[in-house]
Amino acid sequence: MSVMINSVRNTVIAVLNKNNYGYISPSDFNLYAQQAQLELFMKYFSDYNSIINKENARMSGTDYADFGKSYSEQMEEFIVTNLLTNTSVTSTLSNEYYLPSLVTTGDEDYMISKILCYSKILASGVNTSVTALQLVDSSASFVLAGVSIGDVVVNTAVSPTVTATVTSVSATALGLSANIFTLTPQSYRVFDSSVQNEAEKVSAGKITLLNMSPLTSPSVNYPAYTQTSDTIVVYPSSIINLPLQVQATYFRYPKNPKWTFITLANGEPVFDQSQPDYQDFEVGFQNEVGLIVKILQYCGVSIREAQVYQFAKQEETENNAQIP
Amino acid sequence: MTYISQYEYYENNGNNPEDLNWGSYQYVSLADVVTNFLLMYSGNHSLVNNEERFKILFHAKRAVQELNYDAFKEIKVLELNVPHTLRYILPSDYVNWVRISVYENGVLRPLSENIQTLSSGAYLQDNLSNILFDQNGNALSPQNSAIDYDRITGTKKSIYLNAGNQFDNQAGYNVDGFWYFDYAIGTRYGLNTETANANPTFNVDKKAGVINFDSGMSERLCILEYVSDGMENGDNSLITINKLFESYIYAYIKYEVLNAKFGVQEYVIQRAKKDKQALLRNAKIRISNIHPGRLLMNLRGLDKILK
Repeated sequence: MSVMINSVRNTVIAVLNKNNYGYISPSDFNLYAQQAQLELFMKYFSDYNSIINKENARMSGTDYADFGKSYSEQMEEFIVTNLLTNTSVTSTLSNEYYLPSLVTTGDEDYMISKILCYSKILASGVNTSVTALQLVDSSASFVLAGVSIGDVVVNTAVSPTVTATVTSVSATALGLSANIFTLTPQSYRVFDSSVQNEAEKVSAGKITLLNMSPLTSPSVNYPAYTQTSDTIVVYPSSIINLPLQVQATYFRYPKNPKWTFITLANGEPVFDQSQPDYQDFEVGFQNEVGLIVKILQYCGVSIREAQVYQFAKQEETENNAQIP
Repeated sequence: MTYISQYEYYENNGNNPEDLNWGSYQYVSLADVVTNFLLMYSGNHSLVNNEERFKILFHAKRAVQELNYDAFKEIKVLELNVPHTLRYILPSDYVNWVRISVYENGVLRPLSENIQTLSSGAYLQDNLSNILFDQNGNALSPQNSAIDYDRITGTKKSIYLNAGNQFDNQAGYNVDGFWYFDYAIGTRYGLNTETANANPTFNVDKKAGVINFDSGMSERLCILEYVSDGMENGDNSLITINKLFESYIYAYIKYEVLNAKFGVQEYVIQRAKKDKQALLRNAKIRISNIHPGRLLMNLRGLDKILK
């Protein structure tokens, strides 16, 4: 994939320079770029909703006229699946899990798409030796227990717990996707990834009533969860007595773009994508015009040039008018 | 539900219980119904959208309950010995009875429901008929009311022509081969077929959760045929629905959701309602299993001479 951030910056500078509107520094550009990308990212969802409404009104076509497909593909670029970390600080798991965050999953969630609960434990025990990216238990018989690739391994000896998926299986050792066992002895649990139930999100205002309903109270087959500021609470609450691991599929926020450079002798910054903190835009190429327009708007506001702002706004309006 | 191998069907892959999957192909699980509905009848381009799963689950379960009451024709049977207290505690999943019989000597004899009162609560009273209370202000009750005591001891008379009848074993006059009795009140003309049953009788006390029998049922084997609501004691994984009713269940859920939703046009609701009702009729006809072989069995009785 070719680099988009440099192209966007060059265009922005060219437009600003056209009428001597001023100069935008790399740090300012990075700030504006981050805001612009975030705006466009969040606009995906409202635009997608508009397209669905149009489809329901029979105002959208199929095949090459399928704008919904195009939008959903752009959005799905940001879908990730990660195992969530239990909040318990003891070896007894609670029914509360941390939402995705930079600390636990390495990214922040914009919107949870689904929560899966694994409730069938295939094997448990204590590791007997430490090997990188492996769980080794000389007393285990993982093959006989039915452990297979893709199953979920949880190190329950550390708090918060850490998880990995099985990449290979032998009688006494499991290959893991992450190095979660660095000491011995550490207790573990292996969950069957084929036995999973999707938890339904319920508002905090309704969960009490739902728990009281004999027909629809959350169960192992039909779990539910509520969301707080940085955790989810999975129901039924008795689930703490069950072997359980929760996995979330969610839209993550795009990474902050960063136009990196090396400074030459004449002081003019020159683009250098080999810098370790370099980050291109994550939204698709079809958004390049949108990004430029948004950044120009921020520049216009920043340098108080109403004309630049008006020009950018006009460009955006014309651009949007082309969307059916 | 996924398809299973013949070995798993017949022998449960060698596990216990062996009969776990016998006949399972007739049924679709609740989980499948909910999943299928959410996939096929709910979503951005469907009439049903933005509905929580628990609502779909609720309506699916309500449909299962309603169908179990009559349409499914799935009768549960429980055999219990009736103790000397003449009480048969209703099964934990009991909703309504279908038939109650006494089983003895290899014969099943259906019992008649007693239209008289067989059981009663009572309060202790003094000689001036004042109710007696304990220190907390609650009325005191005897172990058995008089009517219960008489029933249990076998001294309560019955209008039924069984051992409890007031004229049972009484002497009469045999004239020209016919028996005649002196009656206490009036004269009986003919036989009241409603009460002409020699078997013990019963009365279901729904609130108390018991079946009360008359004294003739003591220490005899009772067979209770009843219907439940199909909720399988709250275990969602065990709830199943006959496949003949699968389409009806979807239509039922759709109708209930649309009917309870704000802003849905009336014609849409009516269409869903008609759809639901038509599918229920079809399913009932199907499960009635009316086919030529069964009709032939009835038609064979055509030439029977009625005396």
